[in-house]
Amino acid sequence: MRASLGLREIERRAWLRTFEHGLWDIAVGCLLLAFGASILTGLYWISAICVPLALPGLRNLARRLVLPRLGHVTFRRKRQRSIVRIQIILTVLAVAGLGMFLLTAWSTRAGAPPAVAWLRSHMLAVIGLVWGSALVAAGWAADYPRLYAYGAILFGTLLGSDLGLAYNLGEALVGVGALVAGIGIVLLLRFVRRYPRSREQEVARD
Amino acid sequence: MTRSRDAGRVEIDRVIHEPARLLITAHLYVVESADYVFLMQNTGLTWGNLSSHLSKLEEAGYVEVTKDFVERKPHTMANLTEAGRRAFDAYRRQMKALFADLPDEVD
Repeated sequence: MRASLGLREIERRAWLRTFEHGLWDIAVGCLLLAFGASILTGLYWISAICVPLALPGLRNLARRLVLPRLGHVTFRRKRQRSIVRIQIILTVLAVAGLGMFLLTAWSTRAGAPPAVAWLRSHMLAVIGLVWGSALVAAGWAADYPRLYAYGAILFGTLLGSDLGLAYNLGEALVGVGALVAGIGIVLLLRFVRRYPRSREQEVARD
Repeated sequence: MTRSRDAGRVEIDRVIHEPARLLITAHLYVVESADYVFLMQNTGLTWGNLSSHLSKLEEAGYVEVTKDFVERKPHTMANLTEAGRRAFDAYRRQMKALFADLPDEVD
């Protein structure tokens, strides 16, 4: 029996355990890999099918690997508000992304304002800013600092490409995606080793 | 905990005060509800111990244990009742007051 006690720490530890399995890292890494692969091959449907496949896949893995090991917990209102906050942030950023796409599509027509034309010419940096901000904001709302680093790396990669640094964007995204997914796989293996399924837990589930 | 003026005795809620039950109550206090596996993982208690302590907390009316089905499998969840939350709050206040009252050095 563990003796250390501190209510805030207990709550935070329980919350962070829901991220300890690395599945979120694997999901972010796979999405980046898919975007990179799309750019490298020119097959943009790879990205289009990856998002709808990744989320149910992630949920299924969590149900099979995480729940039997960590158990089920419903957090209090403060944490539930965090989850709602993440959803709002992601929705706002998705709408912002869509808005930018429509703006740039419009900018191909004659007479688009200079600001829109500028946005179009720096599209990669802007996408990097939106996606990077999404990851940082989600990291802040979820109290999950690793997402800050992922957001910064993603923004840096796209900004570098926008500024004309000599690297292939597709390869860079595949590299970053592989790194993030790799971190996720290492975390998942560590998680499975740290929390083996025991007969007692199977009994406890019932 | 109450201080009896006659005997100067301090009475503590022994249902919560027991270390294993204190851990269970603290974990249930910071979440809405949790299942046995979560409580076992986070308190380090065995299934038998956890079950017996939860029964005592349930008898005292501090914990409510509910069984439902998640994906057609039986699932047992535990949560603190309002009485349990109030008792834990009172216990925290009492222990704080008790330790705040201690002199810095005792000869």
